[in-house]
Amino acid sequence: MKYIVIALMLSIAALPVSPVSAQQFAMSITPPLLEITIKPGKSVLIAYTVSNVGDPAIMSADVRPFKPTGILGSLIQSDTFEGPIRFNLDNSNIGLGKPFFLKSKEGQQLLLKIRVPEGTPEGDYYYTFYVQNETGRPLEGVTASLNQARIGGNILVTVTNSGTLETRGNIGTFTVFPTLKLGLKAALFESTDPVPVQLILQNTGRNFIKPEGIITLQGGFGEKANFTLVPQNILAKSSRLAVASTSGSLVRFKEPTTLVLSGFYVGKYTLTADVIFSGSQKPVQATLTFYALPFKLLLASGVALAIGLVIIAQFKRKDDDTSDLP
Amino acid sequence: MKKARLYSIGVGLAMVLYLAGTSGVLASNTDNMESSQYRIRFGNINFGSNNQSSSSYQLGTTAGQFAANEFSSSGYIVKAGFQYIHSIIPFTFSISDTTIDLGTLIAQTPSTATADLTVAFGSAGSYQVTAEEIGPLQTSSGSSTIPDTSCNGGAQTCTESSANVWTSTSAYGFGYNMSGTSIPSDFINSTYFRPFPDSTAAESSQVVMSSANVTTSSTSTITFKTNISGSQGAGAYRTVIRFIATPGF
Repeated sequence: MKYIVIALMLSIAALPVSPVSAQQFAMSITPPLLEITIKPGKSVLIAYTVSNVGDPAIMSADVRPFKPTGILGSLIQSDTFEGPIRFNLDNSNIGLGKPFFLKSKEGQQLLLKIRVPEGTPEGDYYYTFYVQNETGRPLEGVTASLNQARIGGNILVTVTNSGTLETRGNIGTFTVFPTLKLGLKAALFESTDPVPVQLILQNTGRNFIKPEGIITLQGGFGEKANFTLVPQNILAKSSRLAVASTSGSLVRFKEPTTLVLSGFYVGKYTLTADVIFSGSQKPVQATLTFYALPFKLLLASGVALAIGLVIIAQFKRKDDDTSDLP
Repeated sequence: MKKARLYSIGVGLAMVLYLAGTSGVLASNTDNMESSQYRIRFGNINFGSNNQSSSSYQLGTTAGQFAANEFSSSGYIVKAGFQYIHSIIPFTFSISDTTIDLGTLIAQTPSTATADLTVAFGSAGSYQVTAEEIGPLQTSSGSSTIPDTSCNGGAQTCTESSANVWTSTSAYGFGYNMSGTSIPSDFINSTYFRPFPDSTAAESSQVVMSSANVTTSSTSTITFKTNISGSQGAGAYRTVIRFIATPGF
């Protein structure tokens, strides 16, 4: 009997033990952005898909309003629900704010019903539909921080009775950030330095807009280059940094940049921004000028010239000395 | 001989100046699909994209994508998915560990623990991840609290929106450091910390990761740190840190 117990204990000890792993949250949501133009009194049903690519988790879904902040497309989500738009889930077994279980590698379709009550004032309303995990329980007796992860998709709702939208915009800022500050009013650059360009667009209307535009660079020797702006939403009464299609923001500057011109520039250059804020509006234009001079090259050339002259002088002296010999 | 030397120097200088004047005066690319480090924006490598319409509906479709369309009916228009925001890689957010164990705290001995935050987003839009605490670290009874850090204090005081050095073992509190990609620039190195904004004190959540670029996978590491004084009340302290990942609009 004693040997059997020992054998059993050894067998149990020999069993493969799976290591205790951390609880991972990993979730995806589709679609990430909804743009809805809707009349008061109407409703629409949207199918969201959330997929759990992490560990099994207890989740819940809900909606919160958000406001844009800054010029980089950031947002601040409100802690409490507000606004006239009504949301609910059309799933039979899942409701907003109610927990549901999602297995690992499993997806869940969430049918979000968005209803705009009669009498809702015309204008834009911005929300985030999200899912989040319910926090677990830490080990007893230890100090711990429980991480709650929330992932969402944004919903831009435009309420209009007639279908007419108020789309108005301006160019707020159009500037370059010169690297050489010599107390001059003109923007001056060293020829080899990158030229950071910033274009900030303002939405002065009550509906979000998606401006299109182009930045044109023209040099004094007839050179010309065009940089198309990436269409991106600017929410009502807010500003946003425009981004050019040449990925200027890959180069990091202190100031956020729309475009970074890199190359070798000499002379006077003119940058022109043409932006169309809505189909019916004329393009809004802004222009700026900058100058570039090859200071480094001129300095290097000067040094090279000086060295050359010294060498020539030395050779000349040597030649004179040798010609004096009998 | 002298003339030959002068001639060669002159030719050399002329060549330098010529090259300076002609070497790609406009070197930037204007192509939509490339940059100096390559990025494809709005590239649609797909099949079967089409717009269809009838008297009552307009339907835009892109084969191979789910929920990617514009549809309209009497009273509403909805734009979602691929054709507007290219969700080749769905917006995905992960945290490597949802429970951060800071262990048993010892006075003036900082305790740290880490978690990895990862965002994947194939869309042309931007994203942000914000963080906030739902109350400070406190015991279950609420009788004792570990305050949010102000880092070393004095000239090295940190705030919810600005990191600073926290190395002193006599500076107490709870805070975090960020390292990796797409993190705020004030986290200069592993000694720079911030306190979490407290949502129960009406403090606004702060961005801990953000990017305007397409990213298949962007990972950062958050290091939680707490340091207590000898007079800190005994007990197990808890808080909830909420991370909110949202795509751009």
